[in-house]
Amino acid sequence: MLGLRAFICNSLPPGPHVFYQQMRTTFILKRKSPPPLHKKGGKPAKMRARHFVYDLVQDTNVCKQPDIKIILNQFVDGVGNKGDSLSLHPHKAYREYLLPGLAVYASAKNLEKYKVDESKPKTEEKFSSPYVQRTMGCLSRTLLQITMNKLEPWTLEPWHISTSFRKSGFIVPEYAIEMPPVEIRGPDLSLQEKEFYVTVTINKKEKVNVRCRIHHWATGLDRLPWEEFHWKKPKEALIPEQAAVLESMPLPQ
Amino acid sequence: MASRLQATARQLSKTFKKKGRFEIGIASELPPAYKKFWREWKVLKPAAVHYIPQEGKWKRDDITGEILPVQNVPIPLKYPAEIHDGIWGGEAVIKGFQKRDPRRRRVPHYWVPVLKRTVVKSEVLNTHLSVTVTDRTISLINDHYGFDHFLLKTPACDLVSMLALKLKKQILIELMNGCPRYSHDPVKQTEVYEEYKTYLTSYTPEEIEWYGLSWYEALSKLAKQKEAANRPVPLKNMYRKNLVEKLKAAGIEGTKSSPDEISATTSWLSKMNPFGKKDEA
Repeated sequence: MLGLRAFICNSLPPGPHVFYQQMRTTFILKRKSPPPLHKKGGKPAKMRARHFVYDLVQDTNVCKQPDIKIILNQFVDGVGNKGDSLSLHPHKAYREYLLPGLAVYASAKNLEKYKVDESKPKTEEKFSSPYVQRTMGCLSRTLLQITMNKLEPWTLEPWHISTSFRKSGFIVPEYAIEMPPVEIRGPDLSLQEKEFYVTVTINKKEKVNVRCRIHHWATGLDRLPWEEFHWKKPKEALIPEQAAVLESMPLPQ
Repeated sequence: MASRLQATARQLSKTFKKKGRFEIGIASELPPAYKKFWREWKVLKPAAVHYIPQEGKWKRDDITGEILPVQNVPIPLKYPAEIHDGIWGGEAVIKGFQKRDPRRRRVPHYWVPVLKRTVVKSEVLNTHLSVTVTDRTISLINDHYGFDHFLLKTPACDLVSMLALKLKKQILIELMNGCPRYSHDPVKQTEVYEEYKTYLTSYTPEEIEWYGLSWYEALSKLAKQKEAANRPVPLKNMYRKNLVEKLKAAGIEGTKSSPDEISATTSWLSKMNPFGKKDEA
């Protein structure tokens, strides 16, 4: 029967060269008492109950699986360019890259097609840290409310911005904040309907614009009434030069 | 007398051969294409999944030094009905016993594979499918560099499930027709066809037609083919033809009435319009 199997398997066309490593992700069992020998080419003898007593050799579902290699077939944000090869856990590679069609298997044909040069050193990291893109994304989506006094006179300074950032969960040192080109003085209730942006430099390298609005704060009767969903409403640019950039930045929904 | 009877019985038992499933009734007319698939599916022994086969042909006993043949008797597997709804990659249910303690009686136990639902992508069919699989299936797909390669390269005895076999058949039909699902993109169409066309060399169109059919499906297909081949012709058609010929031969005219003549007759029935308004009728 093994000969028949070999015959059929050999008659199958070669197809792409398969890197076939026998992997068993299942229960592997072993008989506690092996069945008796049978005649050459004959039928195995009828098995007794003792031949059905098995020992577990290995449960491969809990074994560590080796990484598999894949090649990106397009630019993936934060992962790599087209033709980059990755070595990932098979589960992650299958679910996140192969199924959506972001990557292909590193077969000999694909290695040739995408001209993967594995000896080539990785291109210099464009970003100062792997998490920079995430931080930039968070900051660019933020609408920073700067709370200023409604009664006392003030001039907007970097430490005001830094404090407002801290209140909304970002620790931004003052040297990283680039103020708008004009000096903003208050209290001025017309500022309440305006917005501008400051530029934050992350790790002294990446720059990101953050939309800011000034809110005049007071207590008691001087307190301004609450406006519903004020963060969703578009406002006029304080500085006309910044209008185009502010237009392109998305408002929080 | 008794010895003669015994001799006859011995002779008969030598010559008597039990009829196989392809030699009984309508099944004896099944084409060789289906027999080939049946051999690949049921006769061929599946790959060792649940045990580690011993290497080599012979083995020396460590203690006695006796040389014994190596006989790998596979562990019997149970194929539940659910196996045909998923692609288990050769895994199946094992029914047996566990000896948990040497002093206690053995305990019955079923080893059932861990099933997961995931998505597989078929490049030839240009679709994603949600199927029940095991970890072994996914690792086999990864080893073969794709779901289509896995299906096309694995013999039917290792695929086991009807779902996988039907998909394989559909993929083969698709390839045979030159990937019509990619007709909107000729570049991709040729690319896919070039990649997979090597698999077509081991099948003829008839073999593809008979691939992936269960026993009853094959039999009903054959029965339908036979029925279509010798459909009974109503005798009245034959008699009518004969009669018309006879009449023609006799030279009798006016027996046939053409449809024009019927429409030309002015009957009150022809003026009726059952779908018109009341006053129109």
